[in-house]
Amino acid sequence: MKRRSRSSIMTAQYVSLVLPGMIIFTIALIIPMFLAFRYSLTSWNGMTPEKPFVGLENYKKLFTDANAKDAWIFTIKFTILNTVIQNVLALFFAVILDSGIKLQKLYRTILFIPCLISAIVAGFIWMKMYSNILPAINDFLGTKINFLLFGSQETVLPGLVIANNWQWIGYWMLIYLAALQSIPVDLYESAKVDGASAIRKFINITLPMLAPAMTICIVGITTGSLKVYDLMVSSTGGGPGRASTSIIYSIYTTAISGRQYGYGSAMSISLVAALLVVAVIQLKVLRKREVQL
Amino acid sequence: MKSKKIAALALALTMITSIGAGCGTNSGSTASTTSSDSSAQQSTAASTTAADSEKVTLKVLAGQSTTDAGTEDMIDKALAKKYPNITLEWECVDWGKDFQPKMQQYMQSGLPDIMIGKAQDVATYGSKGLLGDMTGKPYLDNVLDAAKPGVTIGGKTYGIVYNALYQGVYYNRKIFADNNIAIPKTQDELKAVIEKLKSLKITPFATHFLDTWSIGNITMQFAINDVFNKTPDWGDKFRKGEVSFSTSPEYRKAYEYNKLIYDNTWKNETFSLEQTECDARLVKGKAAMKVSGSWSIQNFLDVDENADFGIFPFPNQTGDSKLIFEPNITFMKSANSPNQDAIDKVFEVVTSDKDLALEIFNFTKTASMIKGVTPTFKNPSQKDIDKYVADGKIVDANTGNTQLVWGGFQEENAKDIAAWLQGKIKIENVLKLSDSRKANSKP
Amino acid sequence: MKDETPSKSENSLLQRIVSQVFITIAALFFLTPILIVINYSFKTKKELYLGNPLSLPKNFSFNNYITAIKKLNMVTTFTNTFLYTAISVILLALLCGATAWAIARCNQKFFKFSYVYFLIGILIPYQALFLPIYIVGFKMGLTNTRIGVILMYIATGMSFGVFLMTSFMNTVPLEIEEAARIDGCNIYKTYFSIVMPLLKPAIATLTIMQSFVIWNDYLMASLFVSSKQLKTLTVAMQALFSQQTSDYTTAMAAIVISVLPIAVLFIFLQKYFIKGMTVGAVKG
Repeated sequence: MKRRSRSSIMTAQYVSLVLPGMIIFTIALIIPMFLAFRYSLTSWNGMTPEKPFVGLENYKKLFTDANAKDAWIFTIKFTILNTVIQNVLALFFAVILDSGIKLQKLYRTILFIPCLISAIVAGFIWMKMYSNILPAINDFLGTKINFLLFGSQETVLPGLVIANNWQWIGYWMLIYLAALQSIPVDLYESAKVDGASAIRKFINITLPMLAPAMTICIVGITTGSLKVYDLMVSSTGGGPGRASTSIIYSIYTTAISGRQYGYGSAMSISLVAALLVVAVIQLKVLRKREVQL
Repeated sequence: MKSKKIAALALALTMITSIGAGCGTNSGSTASTTSSDSSAQQSTAASTTAADSEKVTLKVLAGQSTTDAGTEDMIDKALAKKYPNITLEWECVDWGKDFQPKMQQYMQSGLPDIMIGKAQDVATYGSKGLLGDMTGKPYLDNVLDAAKPGVTIGGKTYGIVYNALYQGVYYNRKIFADNNIAIPKTQDELKAVIEKLKSLKITPFATHFLDTWSIGNITMQFAINDVFNKTPDWGDKFRKGEVSFSTSPEYRKAYEYNKLIYDNTWKNETFSLEQTECDARLVKGKAAMKVSGSWSIQNFLDVDENADFGIFPFPNQTGDSKLIFEPNITFMKSANSPNQDAIDKVFEVVTSDKDLALEIFNFTKTASMIKGVTPTFKNPSQKDIDKYVADGKIVDANTGNTQLVWGGFQEENAKDIAAWLQGKIKIENVLKLSDSRKANSKP
Repeated sequence: MKDETPSKSENSLLQRIVSQVFITIAALFFLTPILIVINYSFKTKKELYLGNPLSLPKNFSFNNYITAIKKLNMVTTFTNTFLYTAISVILLALLCGATAWAIARCNQKFFKFSYVYFLIGILIPYQALFLPIYIVGFKMGLTNTRIGVILMYIATGMSFGVFLMTSFMNTVPLEIEEAARIDGCNIYKTYFSIVMPLLKPAIATLTIMQSFVIWNDYLMASLFVSSKQLKTLTVAMQALFSQQTSDYTTAMAAIVISVLPIAVLFIFLQKYFIKGMTVGAVKG
């Protein structure tokens, strides 16, 4: 009897530790989400007080909107490229840094610094790199490489992928590095005794032990890439034309300059739904893999 | 371990003391913030009477570009001299990117007392009953008459146009003079000039299509002299269904001029080049002409203070194109603000203080819309402007901008034009897409 | 924490040299854009437009830095940014730690639900929700207030913070908590005086990760603290990138000034950060 009432008091106290954060979080983010859902059912222009109800019209429109489709295609391509390249390179650099080279701390810092810059500034820096700095190397070396990656519809995606990777590889690399450094040495020792080669050691010991880190990195890179916006603001502006308009960039131009706030809200909700599906699938698949290994 | 503890403690202490200091020095401003919040949202008895000695704080939202950033300090000084009891609380944002989102934001919570935007904003927001009517106010008499039609809706004037930009073809005067090139007045003359420049290995046009807005801007310049000069209400007709982009040979021509320029500029670079680079190249003599506006003057003079450039209107189909002036900084007031008297006093200072006006025009390198004030900054294109003004060959950019709105329409059409120039879609589709946005074209 | 496993240093000399060369080239790639920005920040406008982009400036003058400090009102904006970042991060560390600890220690449905609830926040593209967020903020009277923007930073940081801290809870031994409880400490005392000190690596990790996100934030600051006295550095910097005219030389100096504090913070807390990442990465 006494124990029960004590533990329910304790539970209440634990709950009180969770509540403040939960309240702030709910009011600031969850309630606006519900508001956005409400707006997505209207044809509101974001300015006047009238918000005419239109039901699921906006959602139906999503399927026929060519610009929204292009924005999704661009965002998905961007995400896939990033997820593969950033993961592979981050892991690669982490392995190199962990392999007994000198000045590890210095390299670690250098590769990490780009992510301390805001994405808006990073986009601007690469815009200047492609248009001024790199072409100057052509003059220097007498070569004729085309560095104007933001200048055409075909190359703007690789251009942005390079800029994005430059910014974030260091961040994920640190996660892999930390994971690598905590793999117990004896695992490698016993494999060596068994006569395993370096590659077999990597595949059978390192990779499985990195599974939790991989989960974090893959989910993080995917959700981050799907939400990309700031990078384009001061670099391509979504162009040339609409070639590098991501889904959030499209939401912004539709909802604000286009004054179709209701439709823009429907796009936002569909983005959240897509993110949810992607994250859940990834977590299920990756966690299963973690458990197996 | 101990030194680390001390370091952590020191860090925490510095944070805490800075919080204390921050709170102390800014408690005054937080108080004024909350008081101006309430004054913007509810009518306070004090401000409605607005006696001269009452302290009033007015909220100002200013959509600026880099060239006007800093003018708020000049206005503050001038205001303090005449009405020291009125304080302005400024919020300065980039007009191109942030003015509309901010206005949208404030429409939910209450507009600021004074808004400073561009003349076309009057068309966008005036029709919604949000702006205060200034018709008949004495300070309006200080503004040039040419500036009033663009900010008048239904006989009521909603804005004070302060300065203007000139839009047209900026040209490198030295290149033209050295090669005896005359100013082209017709399309044929223009084509001849282009051929001459190409034979001299000079790029005819400087462009920076990385900025899609530049495509939108030059297209509207073309349309003003080929469409709106003949049919001033083309936009209204368009919405009524009487005309369309697909069936308008004049508007099609306006779109096609983009190709003329694209074929005669640094094609493979223009979608990577941003404006300051582009302007530098014109001054350096790499290109001879640029379809632009007086916002470029600042860039030209930064590269070379002795740069010699001029301006002429882009030749149209009928050989009678006019130089375009774009009313720029425009003061507007909120219709529902309780501080109408104070706002009127601010406008009185702004329009009648000639020293302030001169300072601002010279700082921003723009043309004056205030009577009796002529800017004295060095502007090599001024002699050309004066010529066109004297001949009456100038036209208001808002003849176009108030018919077809910029955001959501002109801007989106420009993106399609960019895709067409890069060979992704056909011109017929571009025109069709412009037609499809009819619902978004009304300001 | 050892820096390298013994077996790794047995790699052949050739392998080590190749690795070293490779990582040096990579480091140059990552460092070059930053060096370019620093280089530009000392150039004059003319050198920017007319000179070779790769050349060094004629005079290493600090003019751009002085202009940046004046134009961006740096004394005010820097202090504001620092204030919002510091307070938000401190409060986040407290709240996330408390939430995560409660979630880790209790098995009831409420806590399991809370964990998932907070995690969903990572998916919310709050940039697209700026108007509803502003409406809610305005209805609560929090617009153009310091409290408003700090609360927003806390809200957007909770998701990742709770996720991170929860993975750290295994490093806090239960026995210590039991001992404290037997000694008569209630939950709050246990948390603040026993558990929090043990979470130093976690707090350091959270500090770095949230600091640079908040420091570089544009959206929330522009929504909630746009007036001149409350402005942040990032918002002020936008004035240099306006649509029709821009001031790049000053912008370059402003970028350097704004990155410096965060870079210093990282270098300071690097060791804790790596330690923190280790636990998070391994335990997931």
